[in-house]
Amino acid sequence: MEDTTILSLRGITKYYPGVVALNDVSLEFKKGEVHALIGENGAGKSTLIKIISGAIKPDKGLIEINGKQYNSLDPLHAKQNGIEAVYQEFNLVDSLSVAENICFGEQNGFLIDFKKMYEKAKKIFDDMQVDIDVKARVSDLSTAQQQLVEIAKSISRNAKLLIMDEPSAPLSVSEVEKMFDIVRNLKKSGVTIIYISHRLDELFEISDRVSVLRDGQYIKTLETSRTNPKELISLMVGRELTESFPQKRGTIGATALELKNVCGNGLKDISFTLRKGEILGIAGLVGAGRTELARLIFGADKLISGSVLINGKPVRIHLPVDAINLGIGLIPEDRKRQGCFLEKDVSWNISISNLRSLLKWKTVVDKNKEKSLAEDFYDRLNIKTPTLMQKVKNLSGGNQQKVVLAKTLATNSDIIIFDEPTRGIDVGSKQEIYHLIRDLADQGKAILMISSEMAELIGLSDRILVMYSGRITGEITKEEFSQDRILELASGLN
Amino acid sequence: MKNGLIKTVINKYAIIFVLFGLVLLFSLLSPYFFTLQNLTNVFVQQSYVIIATIGLSFVMISGGMDLSIGYQMSLVGVVTAILMKNIGLPVPLSILLGLLLGVALGLTNGLAAITLKVHPLIVTLGTMTVYQGISYIASNQSVILNLPPSYKAIGQGYIGGIIPISVILMIIVSIVASFILSKTSFGRYVYALGSNEEAAHLGGINVNKIKLIIFAINGLFAAIASMILFARTGSAASSTGPGTEFSAMTSAVLGGISFKGGEGKVWGIIVGVLILGVLGNGMQLVGLNTYAQFIVKGLVLLAAVGFDTYQKASAQKASIKESTN
Repeated sequence: MEDTTILSLRGITKYYPGVVALNDVSLEFKKGEVHALIGENGAGKSTLIKIISGAIKPDKGLIEINGKQYNSLDPLHAKQNGIEAVYQEFNLVDSLSVAENICFGEQNGFLIDFKKMYEKAKKIFDDMQVDIDVKARVSDLSTAQQQLVEIAKSISRNAKLLIMDEPSAPLSVSEVEKMFDIVRNLKKSGVTIIYISHRLDELFEISDRVSVLRDGQYIKTLETSRTNPKELISLMVGRELTESFPQKRGTIGATALELKNVCGNGLKDISFTLRKGEILGIAGLVGAGRTELARLIFGADKLISGSVLINGKPVRIHLPVDAINLGIGLIPEDRKRQGCFLEKDVSWNISISNLRSLLKWKTVVDKNKEKSLAEDFYDRLNIKTPTLMQKVKNLSGGNQQKVVLAKTLATNSDIIIFDEPTRGIDVGSKQEIYHLIRDLADQGKAILMISSEMAELIGLSDRILVMYSGRITGEITKEEFSQDRILELASGLN
Repeated sequence: MKNGLIKTVINKYAIIFVLFGLVLLFSLLSPYFFTLQNLTNVFVQQSYVIIATIGLSFVMISGGMDLSIGYQMSLVGVVTAILMKNIGLPVPLSILLGLLLGVALGLTNGLAAITLKVHPLIVTLGTMTVYQGISYIASNQSVILNLPPSYKAIGQGYIGGIIPISVILMIIVSIVASFILSKTSFGRYVYALGSNEEAAHLGGINVNKIKLIIFAINGLFAAIASMILFARTGSAASSTGPGTEFSAMTSAVLGGISFKGGEGKVWGIIVGVLILGVLGNGMQLVGLNTYAQFIVKGLVLLAAVGFDTYQKASAQKASIKESTN
C-alpha cells in the first residue's frame, strides 16, 4: 500500500425528502488499499457508492479524484477516472458470450474482431488465474463465474478503483476464498478496492482499513489490524452488541418431520429426522442441494422416490398449499423474488397466505381481523414501518425479511424451514431474527435452518446436517460443532 | 406535506379529470353533446365494452393477457343465434348455453396456457384464430337476421322506459367484479399472481386453479358482452365482436391496469372505457371523420401511458430516495 490518496470525499451531504442520507461525510481512499465500508442497512453505504460511481449527485461537498476536483460525478466521468463497480445485481448481457461482455462497448469500427476479443478476455482470466471458457454464454455460468466476469470487465477497463458491493453474498466458502485471491492480486497491481460487506469476518481477512457509517454519519476509519469485530459492531450500532446467540430454554420433543430415502430435484437418498423444539442446521456450499431440499419438502418441486412423514404419518405433498395445510412453513431464500409482494402493503403481505382464517361468510376478507393480525406481527417482530399501509418495497431489507417471516408465521406452522434467514440484512435485524427462531423452537416448533453463515449455524443450531452434491455427508452434534468439521464435510472430503 | 397530498390525489385520479375535461370540452364545442339523450347513448354504446374490459382486466391484473375475446364474442353470439333461430331453442336456454360456451372458451385458453406453459398472449393469439375459424364455419359466412325480440331487448330494451337494460347489466357486472376484486380472498389472489407469481406459489396459492377461474370469468364476461352487442345489432354475423379486444386493452391501460399485472381497479376501467367513448362520440358530433378519430384515440393512449410511466418513475425515484441503502 502506498500513501497516495486516490479519492477523497469532503463534506459529502445528500438529502432525500424527510431524510439526510449522508451528512457531511469526509473520507479518503489510498492507492492500492482494500478499504471496507460497513454500517447497518440505512447507514448510507449505498448512497455513498452511488455518489462515487456517478449514479447520483450529492447536494453538498467535493469529490477529489486523481487531483481533479468535482462537485459531482456522472457515470462517464467516473469511468474515465477508472472507477468501476461490481454490484450485487450483475450488469451482464446473459445472451452474449463471456468475452463479448468483458469487452462490451469497446469495439471500434463496423465489424467485431472476435479473435482479438477472445484473446484479450483469455489474457485477463489468465492474469486472474481463473479458468472460464471465454466463448461460453453468460447465462450458462454459475453465479460465482458471472461475478468473475464482472470483475474481469472492470479490469479490462483499467479500473483504478473498484467498488464491490456485498461480493461474497452469492458465493460459497471456497468461492469466497478464490475471490479474495483475486482481490489481493488486484491490490498488488495498485487497484484500490472499496469493499462492502455485512460479513465482518471477511473484512478481517481482506481489508487494510475499515470505515464505519451510521445513520448517514461518518463515524470512524480504523486500521483493520488494530480493531476487532466487537468494536466494529459497537461502532455500527452505537451500542455494545455481542454477537451472542440466544440460549435454548425449551426441550426437544418427539419427531415432527422424517425423510426416508428421498430422491428428486438433484437430491440423492436423503434421510433424517427433525424433532419438535429442535433447530436443525443445514450446512453446505452453494449448489450442495440445500435449497432444493427445502423446496422438495415444501412441495415446490417434485419428489421422485422415498417418503416424508409428519408426526409419524406418511404424507403426500404435491404443492406448497399442501405443505402449508400440513403445518409446514417456508421462508424462502430470495425474499424479493420468492418471499414478498413488493408493490403491496405490509398488511396485505402478512395476510396473503392466511386469508382463509380471515374470512367472513367464507368469501370476504374481514378487514378487522386482517388489521389485528398485521398489528400483532408488527408488535411481535418489531417491524419498522411508518404504517401497515406502506408498500413493502419501501422497507429496508431487514424489515422486508420480517414481513416474509410474519407471512409464514401467520399460517401457524409447526415445522418451519428457514432458507438463509439473515442474508443481506443488518446486524440489528439479524439479532432479532435469531431470537425469534430460538423462541419458536422453545415453543415446540421444529425448525430446519439452511445457512451459509458459519457463526449462525454453530451459534443457533442444536444439530447440524452437512450436504455435499445432493447428499447428506454428515451429522454433527452440538458438542462436536466446529468450522473445520463442517467445511470438511461440505467439501466432500470424507 | 399538503402539497404532496394534492399531488397524490391528482396523480391517482388523473383519468377522472381527463374524462371531465373531455365532457366539458365537447359540451362547449357541440350543443348536442351534453344532452340526456346523447349521454345515455354513450353509456349504451359502451356498456358491452365495459363488461368485456372488466373480464379482460381479471386476466391482465393476474399478469396475463387475452387477445381472443373479440372472437370469443363472435363465436358465442353466432352460436346463440343458431340455437335460437335455426334449432329453435327457447331464448333463455339459448342464452344460458351461450354463456356456458363463453366459460368453456375461457377455460380452454386457461388450460392451454397452463399445460403449454406459454404466456397467455401467445396462447390466445392461437386460440383467437381457432375461434375465428369455428365462428365462420358455424355461421356459414352468412348473417342470421331477425333475432327474436325478447333477445334483442337485452341490447335495445329499457326498464321503465328510461333505463337501458344493457346499462343495468353493465352496472351489475361492475359491482360484482369490483366486489370480487377488492373484497374477496379470490380477488387478493388475482392481484398476488400479477404482483409476484413465484411468491404466490410458495405462499400456498394454487396458482393454476386461480388462473383457470380467472379465464373462466373472462370467458363469461366476454359472453355477456357478446349478448348485449348481438342483441343491439339485431342480427348475428361472425364479423361482429372482433376489435373489442383492442378497445378493451386500450381502455384497460387508460384505466390504470398495468401490462405487468398486480394493479388496477374497476372504477378505473369504467373511466377508461368512457374516455374513449366520449372521445368517439364527441368527435363525431364535432364532425371529425372516423380516421381522424383513430389518430386522436391513439395519441390519447400514448399520452396516458406516457403519463403513467412518468408518474411511476418519479414515484420510484422518491421511494429509492426513501429506502436508499
